[in-house]
Amino acid sequence: MSLCSLIELIIFLRGKNVVSRFKKSVLLTMMLILLVGLLVACGGDEGTTDEDGNWTGTITIWDGPRWPDADDNKYHWLEEKKAEFEDMHEGVTIEIVQVPWAELPDKLGVNIAGESWPDIAPVDISGSAVSSEHIEQGVIEEVDFLSDDDLSDFYDNALEAYTFEDKLYGIPNSITVHSMLLNLDLFEERGVEPPADGKWTWDEFLETAEALTFDRDGDGEIDVYGFSTYILEGYYEAWPFFYKDGGQPMNDDATEFTFNSPEAVKAIQDLADLKLVHDVAPMAHGGAEVGETFQAWANEEQRTVAMQPWATWAIQSAQDAYPTNFMVAEYPVGDLGEPLTIGGVGGWLMFKQESEAKKKVVAEFMQFISDTDEQYRMAVEYGVFPARISAADMDPYADNPQMARAQEMSEQVVMVPSHPQWKQIDEIIQGKLQVVFNGEKTAQEAMDEAAEEIERILD
Amino acid sequence: MDGSEALKEEIQPNRKENKKVHEPNKRNIWQEMKKNYASYLFLTPKLILFTMFIAIPVIWALVLSFQEYRVTESNIFVGLQNYIASFESTMFKKALWNTFRFTIVTVPFNIISALIIASLIFPLGKLSQNFFRSAFYLPTVTSMVIIAMVWRWMYNYDFGLFNHILGWAGIESVNWLGQSNSALWALIIMQCLIPFGVGIIMYLASMGAISKNLYEAATIDGAGPIKQWLYITIPLLKPTTLYLVILSTIGSFQVFTQIIMMTGGGPDGATETLVHLIYKTGFRDFDFGLAAAQSVILFGIILIFSVIQFRMLRHDD
Repeated sequence: MSLCSLIELIIFLRGKNVVSRFKKSVLLTMMLILLVGLLVACGGDEGTTDEDGNWTGTITIWDGPRWPDADDNKYHWLEEKKAEFEDMHEGVTIEIVQVPWAELPDKLGVNIAGESWPDIAPVDISGSAVSSEHIEQGVIEEVDFLSDDDLSDFYDNALEAYTFEDKLYGIPNSITVHSMLLNLDLFEERGVEPPADGKWTWDEFLETAEALTFDRDGDGEIDVYGFSTYILEGYYEAWPFFYKDGGQPMNDDATEFTFNSPEAVKAIQDLADLKLVHDVAPMAHGGAEVGETFQAWANEEQRTVAMQPWATWAIQSAQDAYPTNFMVAEYPVGDLGEPLTIGGVGGWLMFKQESEAKKKVVAEFMQFISDTDEQYRMAVEYGVFPARISAADMDPYADNPQMARAQEMSEQVVMVPSHPQWKQIDEIIQGKLQVVFNGEKTAQEAMDEAAEEIERILD
Repeated sequence: MDGSEALKEEIQPNRKENKKVHEPNKRNIWQEMKKNYASYLFLTPKLILFTMFIAIPVIWALVLSFQEYRVTESNIFVGLQNYIASFESTMFKKALWNTFRFTIVTVPFNIISALIIASLIFPLGKLSQNFFRSAFYLPTVTSMVIIAMVWRWMYNYDFGLFNHILGWAGIESVNWLGQSNSALWALIIMQCLIPFGVGIIMYLASMGAISKNLYEAATIDGAGPIKQWLYITIPLLKPTTLYLVILSTIGSFQVFTQIIMMTGGGPDGATETLVHLIYKTGFRDFDFGLAAAQSVILFGIILIFSVIQFRMLRHDD
């Protein structure tokens, strides 16, 4: 019975003199009891621990949609693992909360603020709701339960991404890289040779982009552009270009903004000039439209751009959802002399636990879903690179040359700077980059302005 | 009694009588509450919900604005630091200025356009009036998300409606949402061109309540339709205008959906507004203390504007 119905009933009975002898305090007490009951009903369940220290109860795990099964269920993998784990651990229930990937950071952030976090969640530590401040405040549990043998099975850069002050705060599960995707049909149409083994210099890239920009129907309007990408906070497809001449956004210990260095400024201006000077990129180049940019490359009805940089997911998308004849190439090499790309590391985080007994079971489940077999399966089915060396050694992309080529680029990965205020810094940089790409400011002007604003944050 | 006296009588009702009606009740307020306890009991559910979901969060936000929010530890009292940080922030100043510009253009435009549209619809027959009433109210019941998506298409550089029209006139296409000097204006134009449905409906209802005697008296005194509109309709719609101006100002200061759907505050903060910034500070940066301070500042600004508008437009002036 709802609170409103109860009050209405009391008033009705009062009118009929049924409860006229009831004191007001009794009515008030009843209402309070109901209210407290409602609030208690919203509380969580911490489970129970027996005399031997064995914990039973519910573990909550959040996850986003992964690859579909025959019934188009994109959570079937975790549901299978849940069933297996529950069979092995009587009294333990795994509760799966399905959260779309796009909503996960916001939802997790709100739940952290409300101290109602899940036990486990998949978090890309390089750009998520979780920051080093949360680690400092004890929201994230340290991963101190992996053996040395187990730890040595992970790639170093994957472990580094989840390491804070020499302690590990997550189990790396996957690595993603950004790579250049080249539409080979358009190369063929223009008689342009793609770069051998996907390696090229900036000059070769520019030459290729010029050759791929053309007016197909002779109406005086360009129908296909050589290249385009977008600029948006939290997204780094364009950024490997900015590193090509040796520039980087911050110095190594993230205490100084360095994207206004001559090397970075030149690289930023070079990429913007593809549209502003060379006319080999459309007006959308450097805008904030993610979906439209991808559609322009992948959608069969468009295909108005020949080359775009994308994260790993786009390779699978171009193989399945948008079948495209394409190849994977590296980012062009500039004055630095070697190719670079930006990567991300996904993994499982354990949130603060009330008891050591529960933490032990949660840890067991985390290991259960991130062992070598699961990472191999994730690589084959879901299109992410394993964070475990043993899973990569199983050669998950033996039948997938494009993914295999992208995986080779894992060695070129640099991570975005790790700083507690990175989101604010990133917002300033990306905002200034946008005005460079729409021609309102030069790269030097924009990055000098960014430096001024970022210095205030760093101070 | 000639026309002007009738008008005076209608506009300025007997103040003595008015005073009598509003004479303060001297009975003990508690006795009064006790007598009407059933009414208060009926109000209780709503009051509980109001307290839980409005009053407590508002008070909590005020408290939070003086604190640094910590998740697993007690919050730290920081005095006015969050307020100082807000006013020192370049983005906050930019958001404040953008919101002010958005409001200063859209509110007068919406109110005046609603008044003109309502005045044009009012003399029509019942059927036509109902048709236009529904047509102009339709955008109000349509989700702003949908409207924003349609407008995004209209502003698209390559295939948008606006650039198509400019193309017919031989004018070069404009990157409406991508240039920092045009993005905010694109949003302002959008807000101005979406009919202010609530305003139109309220004006129509208020126009229907104006006594026809006033217009008859004014006609006898030789006043034409324009003069009648200026000296009878507009003055008597002042309470409605006051309400709509305050409502519209609050809505404009709280503009959010259009921003998050169309520009995300960019490029380079050119369309950043206060509520969008508060959202980002709170739910992207998780700096709830700073977000709370920004909210309190917004509350203060809206309060000041509302008081000024109330004083300028109140009925008994």
